[in-house]
Amino acid sequence: MSEKEVGTAFEVPIGPQHPALKEPILLLFKVDGDIVVDVWPRIHTHRGIEKATESRNYIQNIYLCERVCGICSFIHTLVYTQGVEKLLDIEAPPRAQYIRVIVSELERIHSHTLWLGVAAHELGFDTLFYYVWRDREVVMDLLELISGNRVNYAISTIGGVRRDISPEVADKIRKGLDILEKRMDVYKGVVEKEPTLRERVVGVGKLSPQDAIALCAVGPTLRMTGVKRDVRADDPYQAYDEIPFNVITYPTGDVLSQIIVRVGEVYESINIIRYALDHMPSGPIKVKVPWYIPPNEVISRGEAPRGELFYYLKSNGTEKPERVKIRTPTLANIPSVCKMLIGCHVADIPIIFAGIDPCLSCTGRFAFIDEKKNKSWIWNNEELKRYSLKWYGKA
Amino acid sequence: MVWESLIGLIELLIFPGVFFIFWLALTYEWIDRKFYAKLQNRYGPLHVGAKGFWQPLADFIKLMVKEDIIPAASDRLLFTLTPIFLLTLSLTAFFFVPIVPLLRDVALASFEGDLILVIFLLTMIAVVKFLGAWGSTNIFGAVGGVRLAFQLLGYEIPLAICLVSPAIVAGSLSISIIAQYVGSNIIVAIALLPALAVSIVCFQAELERIPFDIPEAEQEIVAGWLTEFSGRRLALIRLSIDVELALASALLAALFLGGPYGPIIPFLPVQVSYFIWFIIKATIILLIFSNIRTLFARLRIDQMVHFSWKNLTIISLLEIVLIQALLAGGVI
Repeated sequence: MSEKEVGTAFEVPIGPQHPALKEPILLLFKVDGDIVVDVWPRIHTHRGIEKATESRNYIQNIYLCERVCGICSFIHTLVYTQGVEKLLDIEAPPRAQYIRVIVSELERIHSHTLWLGVAAHELGFDTLFYYVWRDREVVMDLLELISGNRVNYAISTIGGVRRDISPEVADKIRKGLDILEKRMDVYKGVVEKEPTLRERVVGVGKLSPQDAIALCAVGPTLRMTGVKRDVRADDPYQAYDEIPFNVITYPTGDVLSQIIVRVGEVYESINIIRYALDHMPSGPIKVKVPWYIPPNEVISRGEAPRGELFYYLKSNGTEKPERVKIRTPTLANIPSVCKMLIGCHVADIPIIFAGIDPCLSCTGRFAFIDEKKNKSWIWNNEELKRYSLKWYGKA
Repeated sequence: MVWESLIGLIELLIFPGVFFIFWLALTYEWIDRKFYAKLQNRYGPLHVGAKGFWQPLADFIKLMVKEDIIPAASDRLLFTLTPIFLLTLSLTAFFFVPIVPLLRDVALASFEGDLILVIFLLTMIAVVKFLGAWGSTNIFGAVGGVRLAFQLLGYEIPLAICLVSPAIVAGSLSISIIAQYVGSNIIVAIALLPALAVSIVCFQAELERIPFDIPEAEQEIVAGWLTEFSGRRLALIRLSIDVELALASALLAALFLGGPYGPIIPFLPVQVSYFIWFIIKATIILLIFSNIRTLFARLRIDQMVHFSWKNLTIISLLEIVLIQALLAGGVI
């Protein structure tokens, strides 16, 4: 992996500590002149959250799953609680489902505007970065208004939601959305017209639809190649089957289309929230659920801001789950971004990598691949512990 | 005789010499940061002094007392000499720019042809930066240094052509004489506006500011050619970058706007009036520099070189043609 090539190519390490990366990952680039010819990603994070869920009960796990990711914290609780409800074979009340949709769309707006600011920063366009992040405060305030928190909302629970949205709060949300929509028009104009920005994003980091599907890309990274695939539309969960919305795609498959898809999704989210606020049914927001979950096995899916989020849950009749497996969108997008990076200029590395909206805190999982022996295997905590003891000669 | 040499010494060391130049450089860094922040809806420096006025000085002092690390693999001599050379070169160039002529009617140092020397010094600054980056033997430093050298290929020619165009009008290669000529002749200043615009863009590249901050692009190559410098060396480099910024503002003000020369303000000594004009003109140029920083995203190095050769060089050549035509027509 780290053999130095003699000749014109040399290696540039980006990460695990680098100004362009907010989280640790090592991307080792083989560079010929200014062109990237090869890239080796190495994911560092491992937090053992999946193992930790097995020693906590279902209620405690809501708060643990919420902390898988700092930005898309709500979608994790949504998909987890939805999975537990599937284990019990119940559904949340309709009003709770609408509230879940509203919060998850507000979260999508907050995540996409955050990403737009980061992308502008990676392009060296700090002015756009500061303005976008200033206006992102509007949606952060709305989330705080609904849930009482800015980051970990703790609003979804098994069998419903913990807080209702009153008509006054709904009015404030509508007003906030009007401000956001006006500001997004400005940023859309900047992205469409600003020549230096366009020069840096048009045709950069190309990905074909075939490659995107073959490499299992998800979310905006897939939709920016023109493939119309969205869990909200293809496999509706919660109240998404009752709410009309468009799946935003853009055919060019470069960084520009990443930006356009995400900006378009912000508009769609605004419309979804407006529709949901207007059509929210009345009724209870929560049903009572039993403490012990009967043995069952389900998968639960949701569309996180970064793409499809996948939970596998297995219960064994106790108050603790037998197994929780989380597949986060960033992990699914790493192979596609490596494909996009090959052939690019060194200067384009940050924006292409930031293009998939990487969230590495949720990426690390137990999977080992030995390239030399060409085999792969999966270890659990116990096996890894045994291996480490053996490695240090203590077993 | 003693009196004259004493004044000469004061001129060289205090005003308008070394001390004043440092003060001007730090003040201009403050104005630049504050104005840039205002345009981005931020506060900028706030705490040291009124509205953070002494923040650049505080930064300088802080860096001076920080640990100074020399990488084991670096070229020690090159690494040590880079900050000193950078500061010396930019200061030397500043001596040729008229600020306030106290004794003579020219800048601190002046001779027929000093414009060529200043252009040479500006190029030398870029070369020294490249050598320093190369001497630091860091992969990011090396990439930054190479980008810097490429960028020099892009902006050097149009910059030199534009800086020489007022010399053609004034019929002299001395900055002081050019400033006097342009300052007393407003039509010349108007005819030189395209050259001023191109020079501002080129200096944006020389000073490595957005959209041409390619050699020190933080998100791509950490700090570029500056990556390995720390402590005293970084403090001196930062100071020399500030001096370069002030030099660029003052030089463009002198060549294209007449520098300290302008209508005499009544009830004031002529020297004070000169000084006020100099500050006004140089600060206007500085604010234009700061404003450009907020408007763009960073270009890629190949895009930058393409841009300079396709646009800037052509415009600067057309400007020369325009001036020759105007001169032949007797308009200026």
